[in-house]
Amino acid sequence: MKFFASRFKSAWAKRLLILGGLILVYGWALRGLKLDLEMLNQSVPYTIDFISRLLPPDWSVIDVAVNALVETIQMSLWGTTIGALLSIPIALLSAHNLTPSWVRWIANLVQNAVRSVPSIVLGLFFVSATGLGAPAGTLALGIYTIGYLAKLYQEAIESVDPSSIESLRVSGASWLQIAQYGIFPQVLPLGLGYTLYMFEYNIRSASVLGVVGAGGIGFELVNYIRGFEYNKATTMMLVLLVVVIMIDGVSNQLRRRLETL
Amino acid sequence: MKTNRVMQIQPLTSLAIACSNLHSPFLATLKRPALNGVNCAIRAGEFVTLVGLNGAGKSTLLRSLVGLVPIQKGTIHINGVAVSFKSLRQRQEVSILFQGGGLVPQLTALENVLCGSLGQRSTWQTLTGFRRSDRLHALQLLQELGLDAQIYQKTSHLSGGQRQRVAIARILMQSPKILLVDEPITGLDVLAATQVMDIFSQLHRQGITIVSVLHDLTIAANYAQRAIVLNAGRVVYDGVCENLPAHLSLGRS
Repeated sequence: MKFFASRFKSAWAKRLLILGGLILVYGWALRGLKLDLEMLNQSVPYTIDFISRLLPPDWSVIDVAVNALVETIQMSLWGTTIGALLSIPIALLSAHNLTPSWVRWIANLVQNAVRSVPSIVLGLFFVSATGLGAPAGTLALGIYTIGYLAKLYQEAIESVDPSSIESLRVSGASWLQIAQYGIFPQVLPLGLGYTLYMFEYNIRSASVLGVVGAGGIGFELVNYIRGFEYNKATTMMLVLLVVVIMIDGVSNQLRRRLETL
Repeated sequence: MKTNRVMQIQPLTSLAIACSNLHSPFLATLKRPALNGVNCAIRAGEFVTLVGLNGAGKSTLLRSLVGLVPIQKGTIHINGVAVSFKSLRQRQEVSILFQGGGLVPQLTALENVLCGSLGQRSTWQTLTGFRRSDRLHALQLLQELGLDAQIYQKTSHLSGGQRQRVAIARILMQSPKILLVDEPITGLDVLAATQVMDIFSQLHRQGITIVSVLHDLTIAANYAQRAIVLNAGRVVYDGVCENLPAHLSLGRS
């Protein structure tokens, strides 16, 4: 009885300790924000003012919006595809059920290096390389995609049923044969789902890339905001919203169908 | 210990499987090696069942026979040739059927069976598909195992018993002389279990040596000629399949 009582007490002490730790971490983070409640209170009218200037949308630039959006989708399509193709070898080399640890270490380093570069920096880099416009944005998206898809592909590969891989290995299949017949069919549905999600996500990140002149709808958006033409910027955002919703719906349908594969 | 009885009668080389003083690496969770001095000998053409409680070392023993377990001490000989960790040289002669079958669920039954021939073909030969003779062999095996209607179905849609038969067909693509089987009927209903065990029985009559881990002692006694009872990584009984429950509980104390 005494034993259980002490176990019970130590469990509670542990929970309190974790709670205290969490409070400390959040408090520390809040200090870093230098939050000023007074300023927050006064900010409300400014926010309302900003929003009121956005309305109503100026529909006269709808053709500009649609054209820019089409370009954004084209950028995302190519950028995601380039990134996906480059992600496959990196993912294979970083999966712990396939690759020896020293190779994995290098592949993970590549992944982390790519992931830690912000998309804006990639955009600036490629704008300086290929000039303003969609090609720079497409290449930036391609590299940006690697940081995420390589990780997601890697996790899909690592979640493959180990006994199915071991069965093939024991029967004498080569590394490539195991990849082709054992891993690829199991990873395909999940991997395609992730790629679709990335395509969708890249449409949104392409709008950010426009800020540094790497093409797409973001380019027009930022130009209108800089020129204080907020009503036109609203049109851009609304068109983007409609397209994002549409693509989300389509890719949800597709992903659901992939799951039954 | 009666374990060395067969070994004494026959020289090491004429045995299908011979393990002597087999030790696997120390496991912290068990506070001992999974295999802690296993001695056993199996002649070609025998049907032997491995029984024992969970954690007795049955699966580890099977896996060690195909080179999947690093050996700390002792030796394994398959048809007189020494086996070491990761040496899959004897793979044409020994095949292992893992618990659950280890099929690729997104592939059809036929494709899964064809995967059994990967080891005999080079990467280039299978890059664009399988050769006609392999396809015919696979189709024939599926038909022999009563899976005519399931040939082009994804194995994720098949029942447990059907999946297990697909896994057996895949193993048979390699024409093994020794078949190691880990819990082939766990989770199957009586009918499917009998069907699967009857296939092993038939393969045994064709001359294949069969070593199977089984939990159902009645089935073990019905099908196997000999039982090897493991407990805590050692062989505690090796002999006819009589009174198995007693031998099993004997090991526990």
